[in-house]
Amino acid sequence: MRRQQAGSVMRHGRLRRAGAALLGLGVVAVSALVGGGAPAGAASNPILKIASDTELTTFNPFTSYYDGELNIIAVIYPSLTVGDSHNVPQPYLAKSWSHSPDNKTWTFPLRTGLKWTDGKPITAQDVTWTYNLVMHNDAAASANGSLVTNFASVTAPNASTVVIKTKTPQGNIPYVSLPVVPQHVWASRVKNIAKELNTEMPVVGYGPWRLTAFKTDQFATMKPNKDFMNTGMFKGAPKYSELISYYFKSSDASVAALRTGALDQLTGMTPTEFKALAKVGGIKTYRTAPVGWTAVEVNPGARTKGGQKFGTANPALADQRLRAAIAYSFNRPLLVSRILDGLGDPGASYIPTSYPEWAWKPSAGQAITYNPTKANQILDQAGYRKGSNGVRIDPKTNKPLNLRLGIHSDDDQDAQISQYLVQWLKAIGIHVTIQSLSFDALNKNLVKGDWDMLMDGWSTGADPTYLLSIQTCGALPPSKTQSGSTDAFYCNKSYDKLFAAQLSTSDLKARAANIRAMQSILYTANIDIILYYKDQISGLRTNSTSGYLTGSPDSNGVYPLQNHFVNWSQAAPVDAKSSNHTATYIGVIVAVVVVVALVAAILLRRRSTAAERE
Amino acid sequence: MTTVDPVTVEAAGDAVSAASGDVAERSDFGSYLLSKVAAAIVSFFVTLVIGFTIFSIMPSDPVAALTRGRPTSPRQLAALRRQLGVDKPVWVRFVDFLHRTFTLDLGYSYQYHATVTSLIASRIGPTLLLTGSSTLISIVLGIWLGVRSGWRHGSRLDRLSSGVSLTLWSVPTFWLGLILLVAFSVGFGPIPSLFPAGGMTSAGVGGGVIGQVLDVSRHLVLPCLTLVLVVFAQYVTIMRSSIIDELGNPYLLTARAKGLRDDDVRRKHAVPNALLPTVTVIFLQIGGLVGGAITVETVYSWPGLGYLTFNALRIPDLQLLEGTFIIFSASIIVMNLFADILYRFLDPRVRAQ
Repeated sequence: MRRQQAGSVMRHGRLRRAGAALLGLGVVAVSALVGGGAPAGAASNPILKIASDTELTTFNPFTSYYDGELNIIAVIYPSLTVGDSHNVPQPYLAKSWSHSPDNKTWTFPLRTGLKWTDGKPITAQDVTWTYNLVMHNDAAASANGSLVTNFASVTAPNASTVVIKTKTPQGNIPYVSLPVVPQHVWASRVKNIAKELNTEMPVVGYGPWRLTAFKTDQFATMKPNKDFMNTGMFKGAPKYSELISYYFKSSDASVAALRTGALDQLTGMTPTEFKALAKVGGIKTYRTAPVGWTAVEVNPGARTKGGQKFGTANPALADQRLRAAIAYSFNRPLLVSRILDGLGDPGASYIPTSYPEWAWKPSAGQAITYNPTKANQILDQAGYRKGSNGVRIDPKTNKPLNLRLGIHSDDDQDAQISQYLVQWLKAIGIHVTIQSLSFDALNKNLVKGDWDMLMDGWSTGADPTYLLSIQTCGALPPSKTQSGSTDAFYCNKSYDKLFAAQLSTSDLKARAANIRAMQSILYTANIDIILYYKDQISGLRTNSTSGYLTGSPDSNGVYPLQNHFVNWSQAAPVDAKSSNHTATYIGVIVAVVVVVALVAAILLRRRSTAAERE
Repeated sequence: MTTVDPVTVEAAGDAVSAASGDVAERSDFGSYLLSKVAAAIVSFFVTLVIGFTIFSIMPSDPVAALTRGRPTSPRQLAALRRQLGVDKPVWVRFVDFLHRTFTLDLGYSYQYHATVTSLIASRIGPTLLLTGSSTLISIVLGIWLGVRSGWRHGSRLDRLSSGVSLTLWSVPTFWLGLILLVAFSVGFGPIPSLFPAGGMTSAGVGGGVIGQVLDVSRHLVLPCLTLVLVVFAQYVTIMRSSIIDELGNPYLLTARAKGLRDDDVRRKHAVPNALLPTVTVIFLQIGGLVGGAITVETVYSWPGLGYLTFNALRIPDLQLLEGTFIIFSASIIVMNLFADILYRFLDPRVRAQ
């Protein structure tokens, strides 16, 4: 009697466990199949889903550094000017602009009748308050302080005009546009501005989109601003009902999301993923012009602004002929093919090719191409004879040419490139020791001048002033113990004159001519030997999105640099005529088969142990 | 005349000796508990010092890392260094660190612009959901398989479960995560896309609470499955070997001689005795639950503490790293303490010692 009861309890226990297992499986299957209430992005309620370039943690325009956040800030806060599809500044809050003959006073008449998303008017006072905050408050200057260092004053002579006065002539003011915030919202936040996240929804701003929801490191949701201007390059409210920026920590996950339609657009993946995506129906893969480069920087000898030398650079590197020989030994097209899988261009100009207005190309006679024979000739003629072990001897110090090459330990491309460089330099009689260092250790060596060659990389926005400035004598450190913003301790008075001239002119053509001349000087100096430009590689779901891209691809299929402000404003949904019913049906079948198999297994097991239970 | 019943006297004597035994046992337990708690406090303090030292000697310049590749003037850099407190000498930072730890103020994150306490509070839920559910499933599955494999070792089930679990145990977690991601999120061949590729929730989920629960469970399936597949092997192997150790013991023979069925011998006699080593592993695992699973959380962009630590390491976001380090260490030390105490109740031999 007792045993029967025990058996009965045991059976009930087993049944409960089997039931729980089935229930769990059922929940998983149902949640997988019904999509858990996830937004479907139906034709009546279209959603544009894009992958964020970086983490999303704050939308405070005064402190945000990450591209993913900056892209969102650009569409929810206005600025005096904004880049168009060619990244050329166009009037935005400003109707137009004018400047004094000496380029020290810039006047921006503002559009009238514009309103923040809380209904209050946008005034010149909002603009001047924002600019003055960045100019005079260190915490508010965290992100954009460097843009206003030459500003003397920003004032509003009346409610619809802003006047910017600079300390010295500055011709690039239309490019220097800060996000403008509503004073009535931000005035009370100034005291604690460094800690302000600006994630209280909905965020009061003005732009094609309104930020309405946010989860740290996961997503930010924006809705169209129905009151957005419809004039010039602005086309009123965007055509989607929502724009969601998702952040994925791994590129494998983001590529998977693009494949399944959980994302409509994604930038940043490996060349292998890019090539695999090209074969997927409904997805267009595309390359866009690069905004940065990868280079080997060479130390000609660290020095302060006053000319005091310091550091442990090999003194031979001060010889321009040696640096030229090094540049001739590099096979840049091979690196593009092996490291980038062909998705890039060999390096030449200091400013990346994505900005055609500043683009420069070396003449045929000036171009430095892979030529180890010529490199050896240059070194022979300069007196660097080869020692018995094949390593050349510096004629001045009588020491063998042993150079250090610092690479970033967290960058596998650095490691790959360095293996090629060592072999190429060996072929011209230079012995190289690779130093794999953390970003911080590399930076510390850089500041102390304790390096010969380093792997380096920079990118730039449409205005290249900062990138050009890090090669001026003014960027050298004030003393041995203080760091400057110099990239490689380069100092050339002719270059500096051109830098000052390009900064002070407002004539775009004159500026471009100066900038090209500066690039020519840098190219010949071989301080930054640019190895390659890496294309930005992206994927777009063309079966759900149209009109996203701007411009046409070149002969290599590379699109001009894209502007998120324009892309997100002009993209339009494609009517979903067919949905992926097949996948759903297969999913149902798989789930049913699994459930049936599980039930059968439990029943069979119960039958096989029935005798034991009895 | 009153006669005293010898039985009553004997019983009273038993009661007196039992009471004095209880007191002695309680006092034993008190000193045992005190010594264990003291040891835990010392361990925690030593861990704090080691943690701080490691983070201090680690070459780092958070300001340079944060502004990497961005136009920044020397004035901006100096202001940021001052603002983040990285310009202070090491000993000042150490005193700050101790003060913050004991006042439960874990500091401020440079990259999240938020207090470390609030960040940890917001991430601990997702982490416990992921690691808790996967550990629970792993324990149930592992013990169930381990008991059956050990009980009939050498059988087909044993060979299969040991082989599969050890193979999965040897697989790198991130790799398995990627394979599952490709298989069940992207889908291939006849397998359709079943689960999301990452995150914990989708934006704009409808359907009220049920919709949100379903949405989170969809996102949970793949990271949870990855963790289960990697972790359950340790329960299988430990449980299996413990059961095998028990197999030859005479008390099982006695139990069988009493006419108990095989199932009852296993469940009521062998398993309770074989469970002790597994309990240790379970507690160690529970201590590590808070630490999350850095690789799985990273592969699936699961917004938990592991993911937070990964991001903190990259900058490095020193106070956030120190904060997560304190929480991880404290949880493991506390769980070890619990395991020590629980052992005393589970295993009389520990009490006797």
